[in-house]
Amino acid sequence: MYNGGQESAIPLPQDAAAERVHPQHHAHDRLSHPGIAAAVAALAYFIGAKIGFALTFQPHPISALWPPNAVLLAVLLLTPGRSWWLIFAAVLPVHLAAEVQGGVPLPMVLAWFVSNCSEALIGATLIRRLAGGQPRFDSFQYVSIFMLCGALMAPLLSSFIDVALVKFIGWGTNNFWELVTLRLHSNALAALIIVPAAVSWAASDWKGFRSVALGRRIEAGALFVGLFTLGLFIFIQKASSATIPALLYAPLPILLWATVRFGPRGISTCLLLVTGLAIWGALHGQGPFTFASAEESTRSLQLFLIVVAVPLLLFAAVMEERKKAREALQVSEERSLKVFRASPDPIVIVRKSDLSIIDVNEKWEALFGHRRADAIGRTTVELGLYANPEDRNTYLELSARGLVRDFAVDMRDRNGQVHHMVLSGDSVEVAGTDCLITIARDVTAQKLSEREAQQQRLELVHLSRVAMLGELSGALAHELNQPLTAILSNAQAAQRLLARDRIEIQDLREILQDIVSEDRRAGEVIRRLRALFKKSATQFQLLNVNDLVAEVLTLAHGNLTTREIYVVTELCPHPIASRGDRVQLQQVLLNLVVNACEAMDTPGSTRVLTIKTAPTDDGLVQILVIDGGPGIPAESMQKLFDPFFTTKPQGLGLGLSISRSIIEAHDGKLLVRNNGGYGATFRILLPASVEAEQ
Amino acid sequence: MTRLGTVFVVDDDPGVRKALSRLLRSAGYDVAAYPSPSSFLDAHDPAMPGCLVLDLAMPGINGLELQQKLAKDGHRRPIVFITGEGDIPQSVQAMKAGAVDFLTKPFDDTRLLDAVDIAIKRGCAAQLANEELKMLEQRLTSLTARERQVLEHVVGGRLNKHIATELGTVEKTVKVHRARVMHKMGADSLADLVRMADKAGIRPVSSGVG
Repeated sequence: MYNGGQESAIPLPQDAAAERVHPQHHAHDRLSHPGIAAAVAALAYFIGAKIGFALTFQPHPISALWPPNAVLLAVLLLTPGRSWWLIFAAVLPVHLAAEVQGGVPLPMVLAWFVSNCSEALIGATLIRRLAGGQPRFDSFQYVSIFMLCGALMAPLLSSFIDVALVKFIGWGTNNFWELVTLRLHSNALAALIIVPAAVSWAASDWKGFRSVALGRRIEAGALFVGLFTLGLFIFIQKASSATIPALLYAPLPILLWATVRFGPRGISTCLLLVTGLAIWGALHGQGPFTFASAEESTRSLQLFLIVVAVPLLLFAAVMEERKKAREALQVSEERSLKVFRASPDPIVIVRKSDLSIIDVNEKWEALFGHRRADAIGRTTVELGLYANPEDRNTYLELSARGLVRDFAVDMRDRNGQVHHMVLSGDSVEVAGTDCLITIARDVTAQKLSEREAQQQRLELVHLSRVAMLGELSGALAHELNQPLTAILSNAQAAQRLLARDRIEIQDLREILQDIVSEDRRAGEVIRRLRALFKKSATQFQLLNVNDLVAEVLTLAHGNLTTREIYVVTELCPHPIASRGDRVQLQQVLLNLVVNACEAMDTPGSTRVLTIKTAPTDDGLVQILVIDGGPGIPAESMQKLFDPFFTTKPQGLGLGLSISRSIIEAHDGKLLVRNNGGYGATFRILLPASVEAEQ
Repeated sequence: MTRLGTVFVVDDDPGVRKALSRLLRSAGYDVAAYPSPSSFLDAHDPAMPGCLVLDLAMPGINGLELQQKLAKDGHRRPIVFITGEGDIPQSVQAMKAGAVDFLTKPFDDTRLLDAVDIAIKRGCAAQLANEELKMLEQRLTSLTARERQVLEHVVGGRLNKHIATELGTVEKTVKVHRARVMHKMGADSLADLVRMADKAGIRPVSSGVG
């Protein structure tokens, strides 16, 4: 069965897609060894601190870009929470080494350590809490949370701590809010520029780079060289009146190029490059950020970079998400298409709006004889597929309500041959249009063989019935002889009376009345016999089991009489209803009665046949046929219902086997057991009918 | 027109029973019908003259068993068997046991009535023979021992003279005894007496001498 239809329209879950397309989650593994993570963190922190000092506009108290905190945040994001303490421990000596060199008093150095660590801790904790443990700069949600928590909240909160400590210790002269603002800008920019680049690169599949196509390598190289050249041209040049501020936007096309073509890693790397060049230029009094004061220059430089970085990083994430969804969709569509083409069952896809066929598979073409090219654009009714067009409306109504399973219908192929089909259908979206996909299955052969088997069974049932009636023919003749004898004798008595002079009209009336009733009795025997001899399809009807017993005893009367068997009936005092085929059930009961009679031919038998009817406790109807014969030998008991098992010299051995199959076709059971003292009891169990007796 | 004897009809089928009774009555017979052999036996009076029309296959005691039972009890009642199926072994058995006829249903009225007619006659004849025998036996018991001796010699065809010699008496005495025997037995002639003695099973004494 084709069951990919439903899934194919829905992109694969995000995690699964990410896993397959980008092995970014291995980031944890990469820095999972706490020792390595701590060493990397310490080294990066030291270098970052040095860069930070280098990028400080003297006499501006705060660096234009302070990398250590961002480095720390990146490392925390890449390592499990349980080893963070080790990282902080490893960073402490490095921090001391870097800061003490600057001639700052120890308490202030320690205070900065606290504020730096708190910033990374706040950022990493909030991001982990809100966006999960997986650093993913290819997710719009993650990038948003990162910006809000890692690049805004964490620098802001830590800046309060930092400045409070600065003020407490009494270092510096700037006012509180000024310091907070300065530190916030610096650290926010650092987080925005460094963390995405660091995390993206750390999470990269390094081995995968070897397999990158040459064209892409050249493209990456060209992009880098282009951006670098442009950066040099814009940011590292003598400030002059010729410098137009709009030139600032010159790198934007290249940055967009990086975003679109190289994703979060590409843009974060390019941003790092642009930031480096811009700050370098500004520090050396070159490029557009050369204002009167260092504060102004720094602030406008930072704001420019932040304003560029935020949308580009978000854009990269969105692009990446789109790309992955598209890839996932493509994969699933390819898979669906393969399933569609290779399906062993005919499949057709129909547009819901106008019911025209938009695609069919090879099996469909083969079955219906219409070529794909001819079928597309037409409707199933135009092609005359439905033997009964009403069926299509029913099918469409059903499918409008949802999934359709095994809708049986007759369909016609191009040559007009009718196939029995079962249809299953479901709604799918193909290229943005609502469609109905239908999988058809040809069950013609199956139906035919079922019908043949059914026919053969009926044939066999009928044959065995005729055989049984043949055995009973003597007794049945007796049954007809009685009324015939009575009629003849009555008629001749009347003739004799008429031959006399004095006739009593009353006598004649009585005679004629008796002739009529005896003739009816003979007619009834013939009618019953004809019903039994007739080969008719199974007809289920409501019937009273007590009537069934009475009818069979009438038929068997001759047999019972000639064998001199007493019949005892213990019938349920009220009618008990069941559903069944009257003739077939009569056949079973008659068969059991005849068998019982034959069993009682054995010398020493009690020549009494007992028939009981009663409802059972578990909602069934039972008929018991109890004989007074010798019972069934243990070795025969197992084989009793096997076909061709017989103890009679003339028997076919089909009676009981067919009787059981008839009862089972009625959802009933045919059981047998030996009685305690003598004889055997056959028990027919049938489902009771809840319908009222007619 | 009423004929001699009653026809006893035994058949378990009420329709057949009624029709046969009606047919037999229309032919002038007295009819008594029974649904089963046992009900017939319960009501049976062996002294009543008549015959049986008996169905062969019936639950309980069947026709053949009834026939055997009647024979065992010494009631020699003629039987016409009727049956639904002509089973040859059964019919042979029935005929051997003295059945008058064996009719397969359905049968024509004439066949039944002919058979019944024979059966009734046979029944009546048997009845008459029975009565005559009883009478003869009564008359025989009225004879004296000497008279009985004389009878035995007379029916043996011996002359009075020889009888006298044999019995050690005179011819005249024998003549008297002989006349008394003829009178007591109600015989009109010697031939009549011989027939009676034969019927009564008296062994004649034939001439031992000469």
